[in-house]
Amino acid sequence: MRPAPPLLVLLPALMLVPLLLALPGLLHGGGWELIVEFAAAALTPSLDPLVLRSLLSGLAVTVAMALLGWGTSLFAGLLLGLASSRTLWRTLLGHEFPAQLIRRLLALPRAIHELLWGLLLLQVLGLQPAVAVLAIAIPYGALVARVVSDLLDALPTANLEALRAGGAPAPAALLTALGPPLLPGVLSYGGYRLECALRSATLLGVFGLGGLGTELKLTLQSLEFHELWSGLWLLAVMVLLESVVGLLRRRWAMPRRLALHQPGVGRRGREMVLALAALLPLMALVGQASGVDLQALTRWQPLPGLGSDHWQEVLDLPWLQLVGGTLLLTALAAGLAVGLAPLQLLLTAPWPWARRLVGFSWMLARLWPPPLTLLLLLFVFRPSLFTAALALGLHNLGILGRLLREGLQDQDPSAQQALLAAGSGPRLALLYGGMSGVARSYLAYGAYRSDVMLRETVVVGLAGAVGLGSQMLESLSSFAWDQLAALVLVYALLTLAGEDLSDRLRRRLLATA
Amino acid sequence: MARPEPVVEAPLLELRRISVVGRDRPRLDQLDLQIVPGERVALLGSSGAGKSTLLAVANGSLRPDAGQLLWQGQPPASSGRQRRRQLARIGTLWQDLRLIEELSVQQNLNAARLAHWGWPKALLNLLLPLETEACAAALRELELDPALLPQPVSALSGGQRQRLAIARLLRQQPSLLLADEPLASLDPRLASQLLALLLRQAQAPRALLLSLHRPDLLEGFDRVIGLRQGRLLFDCAAAAVDGARLRALYGSEAEHP
Repeated sequence: MRPAPPLLVLLPALMLVPLLLALPGLLHGGGWELIVEFAAAALTPSLDPLVLRSLLSGLAVTVAMALLGWGTSLFAGLLLGLASSRTLWRTLLGHEFPAQLIRRLLALPRAIHELLWGLLLLQVLGLQPAVAVLAIAIPYGALVARVVSDLLDALPTANLEALRAGGAPAPAALLTALGPPLLPGVLSYGGYRLECALRSATLLGVFGLGGLGTELKLTLQSLEFHELWSGLWLLAVMVLLESVVGLLRRRWAMPRRLALHQPGVGRRGREMVLALAALLPLMALVGQASGVDLQALTRWQPLPGLGSDHWQEVLDLPWLQLVGGTLLLTALAAGLAVGLAPLQLLLTAPWPWARRLVGFSWMLARLWPPPLTLLLLLFVFRPSLFTAALALGLHNLGILGRLLREGLQDQDPSAQQALLAAGSGPRLALLYGGMSGVARSYLAYGAYRSDVMLRETVVVGLAGAVGLGSQMLESLSSFAWDQLAALVLVYALLTLAGEDLSDRLRRRLLATA
Repeated sequence: MARPEPVVEAPLLELRRISVVGRDRPRLDQLDLQIVPGERVALLGSSGAGKSTLLAVANGSLRPDAGQLLWQGQPPASSGRQRRRQLARIGTLWQDLRLIEELSVQQNLNAARLAHWGWPKALLNLLLPLETEACAAALRELELDPALLPQPVSALSGGQRQRLAIARLLRQQPSLLLADEPLASLDPRLASQLLALLLRQAQAPRALLLSLHRPDLLEGFDRVIGLRQGRLLFDCAAAAVDGARLRALYGSEAEHP
């Protein structure tokens, strides 16, 4: 009795059951008039030039932070990725162990969410534009490095060996044999990271690091819904970016993300290299304009030493509860995000207008930073793990939903058409004919995304006692450095274990595809 | 083979002056056609003559730009349960088979019953494949081993897949069988075997409409329709197809089919 792929896609939705059971009990009764007021303001955003100007300059700051952080991470990630490639070290030196070592070292920066980096750097460096840039660049760089080295080491080495056997020097052989097939994969991933960087920059703003996120948070907290909506609609420029990235992906024939097991093909290689090279001067200009001061990064503020007399307090933290809460939060959010998207597509299958509506709701969910969603939810729900899971899950639903829809659009529709022609209803035709083909790669991406959600639990830490994330925010605001250090370490270990688990799951799902 | 007299009732398929516009010329041009139960009709024509378009109109997957389509005397319902019931009576054997690679043989066979199944059965079939006996019977009918039922479709050989696609067609229990060049990619021996299978299934009250681009496999058909540039060139008994008709059908297009 093995569930078939289309059924596997529906299984994560079972996590919706506890969520739906818990939420009615969490209503605190009030707040509905605020939600209504908020919803009504969607169509009447504030057009006050003063408001718009401040929002626009906020957006400029956010975009600049995102671009700089992303660009830095791309270059750093490429270099570090090369440095942690087994193929590279084997070809150059004949040994693989330096690659292993660098890989291990990169695990830590990767395991810590950009928000945490941002808040930590804020303490060390003080509030300045470079903090947000670094906060994005550090974890992203380590992530890009991992993808680059994985891509490199997965490439077939027959070409390389042939060139080496023909007497080509190692660096030239590496560049010739591995460069062209590597580039499309890296740039495709890079384009996706740019979208993530914009989301991250907005998120960092919500936590006070400046830019549009800060404006959004302030307007929401002062219940200025019309001004809030002006900002939310401005966020829609990110959709523009999504479509630009999509356009480039098609133009350069890069692999889609749901096609995880397909090698990248790539076209117009010279154009890709030029685009990459043009990024550097662009970054310099943007950096200059937004006042990023590299020298300021060397001026550290003194940190209170890690006192050894507080260790008992650290041990007294409710560790089991914290770790358990984090895991439960992740599971609920992941079940919501992975499970709801196919359910929504199935339910709306007969009605094109409803599908468009779902797509629009996914777009909004992707754009809105989860802590803002959480603040809205707190108008009507009590703070709890479930509320936090709802906010985190809805945001990721927007991301997974788009991927699922793209995957379905990309696949050959003939099996589904055959079922429709045989009289099957549109929903069952989609389930059997459509979901079968995308199930494994969608779930594999869902496994990867769940690992991201585990890292992201910190961003909904505002919802009260919901695991390590909220405890970290609390320790940070009370300057309990030893607590924080211990929490970060445990969190990092947890996310590394999660990453390992999600990798195994992903490999298993894709191997049997 | 003796065949019972066709029952006099509404034709299974009726096309009245059906047209489908194309880019530079009509893909179908005011086509009239009737198929009654028990008939085995071959559709001949070179590539691009409109055979696939005609079949797509007949199975409801392509809406014609003009003309009237009738299934068992009824116009197609626009949507909903009524239309699904109509569609379930028309079975199509696709040239590319359109099996669902990720599902098992049994689940594929049962996919043909989705028109009649509700959600509970459809979902359960994905966990514990249902109606094993009926599925096994469908396989046996096509001389396939019922032991294949739990196998994934992707594990089957080319010939097995062809047969499975026909078994799925039968499992649908349609009254009209449509087949779009099912023999195109097969070697001669396999092609004649498959054709014999299809012809055997097409007995009253069923009917068969099968498109071919080669005129050498007409044995066993009652009627042949010649299609050229979207127009009906001839519609006659299989025995009446002669060299002159074929030359007119393939004539000037022979060099660039």
